[in-house]
Amino acid sequence: MHHLLPLLVAVPLLGAGLLVAVGRALPRVAADTVGCAVSAGTAALVIVLLLNSSPPRTEWVGGWTPVDGRSVGIVLVGDGPGLGMAALASLLTLAALTYSWRYFEEPPRRHAGSYPALMLVFQAGMCGFAITGDLFNAFVFFELMSVVAYALTGYRVEEAKAVQGALTFGVVNSLGAYAMLMGIALLYARTGELTMSLIGRGLDAHGGPDALVLASFVLVLTGLLVKAAAVPFHFWLPDAHAVAPTPVCMLLSGVMVELGVYGAWRVYGTVFSGPGGVPAADLERMLVVLGALTAAVGAVMCWYQRHIKRLLAYSTVAHIGLFLIGIGVLTPQADDGIALYILGHAGVKAALFACTGILLDRYGSVDEHVLHGRARRQRAVAVMFVVGGLGLAGLPPFAGALGKSVAEEAAGGPLAVLYVIASAMTAGAVLRVAARVFLGLGPPPPDAGEYETTGSGEEPETRGRLGFVPDTMTAVPALLLAGALAAGVAPGFGETVARAVNEAGSGGAVVPVHWTPYGILLGLVSTAVAVGLAALAVTRPRLLAAPDWALPLRRLQSGHVGDYVAWLLVGATLLGALALPGVLGT
Amino acid sequence: MNRRFRLWLVAVGSAGLAALLVAACLELPDFGGAWHPYGDRAVRASLDRHTANTVASVNFDQRAFDTLGEMTILFAAVLGCVVLLRQTRDEHRARPEPADVEPPVRRYALIVLPVALLTGLYVIAHGQLSPGGGFQGGVVAATALHLLYLGADYRALERIRPVGLYEVGDAAAACAYLVLGLAGVLAGTAFLANTLLPYGTFNTLSSGGTVPLLNAAIGMEVACAVVVLLARFLDQAVEIEEESRA
Repeated sequence: MHHLLPLLVAVPLLGAGLLVAVGRALPRVAADTVGCAVSAGTAALVIVLLLNSSPPRTEWVGGWTPVDGRSVGIVLVGDGPGLGMAALASLLTLAALTYSWRYFEEPPRRHAGSYPALMLVFQAGMCGFAITGDLFNAFVFFELMSVVAYALTGYRVEEAKAVQGALTFGVVNSLGAYAMLMGIALLYARTGELTMSLIGRGLDAHGGPDALVLASFVLVLTGLLVKAAAVPFHFWLPDAHAVAPTPVCMLLSGVMVELGVYGAWRVYGTVFSGPGGVPAADLERMLVVLGALTAAVGAVMCWYQRHIKRLLAYSTVAHIGLFLIGIGVLTPQADDGIALYILGHAGVKAALFACTGILLDRYGSVDEHVLHGRARRQRAVAVMFVVGGLGLAGLPPFAGALGKSVAEEAAGGPLAVLYVIASAMTAGAVLRVAARVFLGLGPPPPDAGEYETTGSGEEPETRGRLGFVPDTMTAVPALLLAGALAAGVAPGFGETVARAVNEAGSGGAVVPVHWTPYGILLGLVSTAVAVGLAALAVTRPRLLAAPDWALPLRRLQSGHVGDYVAWLLVGATLLGALALPGVLGT
Repeated sequence: MNRRFRLWLVAVGSAGLAALLVAACLELPDFGGAWHPYGDRAVRASLDRHTANTVASVNFDQRAFDTLGEMTILFAAVLGCVVLLRQTRDEHRARPEPADVEPPVRRYALIVLPVALLTGLYVIAHGQLSPGGGFQGGVVAATALHLLYLGADYRALERIRPVGLYEVGDAAAACAYLVLGLAGVLAGTAFLANTLLPYGTFNTLSSGGTVPLLNAAIGMEVACAVVVLLARFLDQAVEIEEESRA
């Protein structure tokens, strides 16, 4: 069975190759069908492998199984977390391809196959990154998914904004990738290995951590956190999400960014968690500080957006902060919670983007103020948007709420408060949009001045404005929300995820993962706060308008790529400073 | 953000990062040491499989899965270029004008073109024996064709360079690499396993099992990809014009 692991990369790539080779002769419907079929086939394969992933199996590509514990080959790891992320990526790719069935004005002339082919390569890149157990191979797939994501982000080249967003995305993420490569080179120089587990063993054999270990850790983590859009590496994300086509946003926000968090978890757990790596206290300080900062900045910025796609993008930033805190506290329980949280968040966030795409194509705008009361007729979309907002807040029984409550209990104290506030603020912003756009509640909101990005003047992504909404575009968000709900309700799902994560991460610790009264209470509290915030914002717009202290924060998102690069350098230094004490102490 | 603040950020960030890197480099193994754990293993594995060029063995046998990813990055970059550099609604194509070329330039380009093309193909074909291989040879072969642009003009280049065909070639080569990999799975060993073909006589063109085949697939993919990439950029520069200027 585990011989089939490399096929998770090979099958979508083969599909992409075929689509490009014969795409010139194919009508669009045929190209889209092939894309969906290949993506679905890969998703089915991942799920079969996932069901057989206990105990975890490894596969040495090319049959280079180790001799005397040493190998020259590349290892793939078929454990629960890796295959779970691959399954999430595959299912979301399938959802995005289905959503774009009637989407996009027209593919490039005589290249009907190029969009589904790019999506399939994206799927292959994400699957490869999720299942690889080799650090250099992880870098290769990191680059692969980045390259495809830049192209997909800039897909609508007619608009200068799209090109600008894709360029920023490209520059910042490429720098992150170079940092990661440099870190890998340092690790290779020390250990002569590229397999993650063997690098870890090599570091342990060398003795306690020194400057080289610290530098390689900081550099590798810089790359992964740029991908995860942690503060201060996050600036590319809102700029890219605001301009990327909606189906691409579903993938970027739903799973690609989360793969950065997953990568950090995997790399720390396999490479740096031993006595020769980075002490646990340092990792905890690093990720909790960065995560709290990310959650706070994301939540505040999310609240003050009127461009709906940017709003959702900042909500992703805020949730990434919560995920980072969860993996930072280094308990098996928090890991399990975050795994569930990522699944639930992916379904809800992708559904919200899908609903926003409908607004864009139906009304030619994604601006909360311009759309005020204009979407009253879209009852189904309104229901889905509100349900999505509630799911984002952590209303039981969404899977995200279950994961969040488990992570809150593991983090405890002030961090649990941060979980409640950050999720309530992002969900409150979504509910506020829903109340204004779909219900037309409250007075039209005032404009806040020059530092606002409005969402008007956006081109619909379909051929002209849609007169009616195609079934595929409403079915996809409905299914995604149903999936997020089912994952929270299905009996035993939480335990299964927890067992798979612990088997891979913490040596099979048994942790109870189920609804507790405390967790349900916190979920209800954050939902109530979200609803209250939204109600207050709609009825008394002046009361919660952007205060002066938020202005400098908004000015930081300048759109100037040089600023973002400067912040990247500062972020890498900050990571080094946060991890320094433990390395000096040994 | 004003200039001064940005410069401060860059100064603080680069100083911190530089300090970290310098401290790390002081801990690196000394230059010229005898300890090469991976190199020793890679050379042994390469000799075991009769591949004279160890780098080719690492690329197309030991770590062939990395090469698959790298090839796909190029493939995706080409696909991205095709999408991003497409002719948009507000652009139209103008036929390129014939251009005059100085006779010495023309003579030199036309003499060097076949030599460069042959060199590229040689570098691809001998990838498993001597330095070089599919990536390098592919770039040489693809750029050789563009000497025609220097020696004659854009229309002459377009005649020998049907971009559509090269796009198909690019995809077909990528598929060939994948199919060679899948053959291993079908044969019951592993993906990209080099166990299907005899390893042959050391230091001959047919040695190394599947290494020459994978190397050839990469050569074709890279050559086609570079041709398509250059074609897309040249199209933008030479042929495609904005409507307003027309």
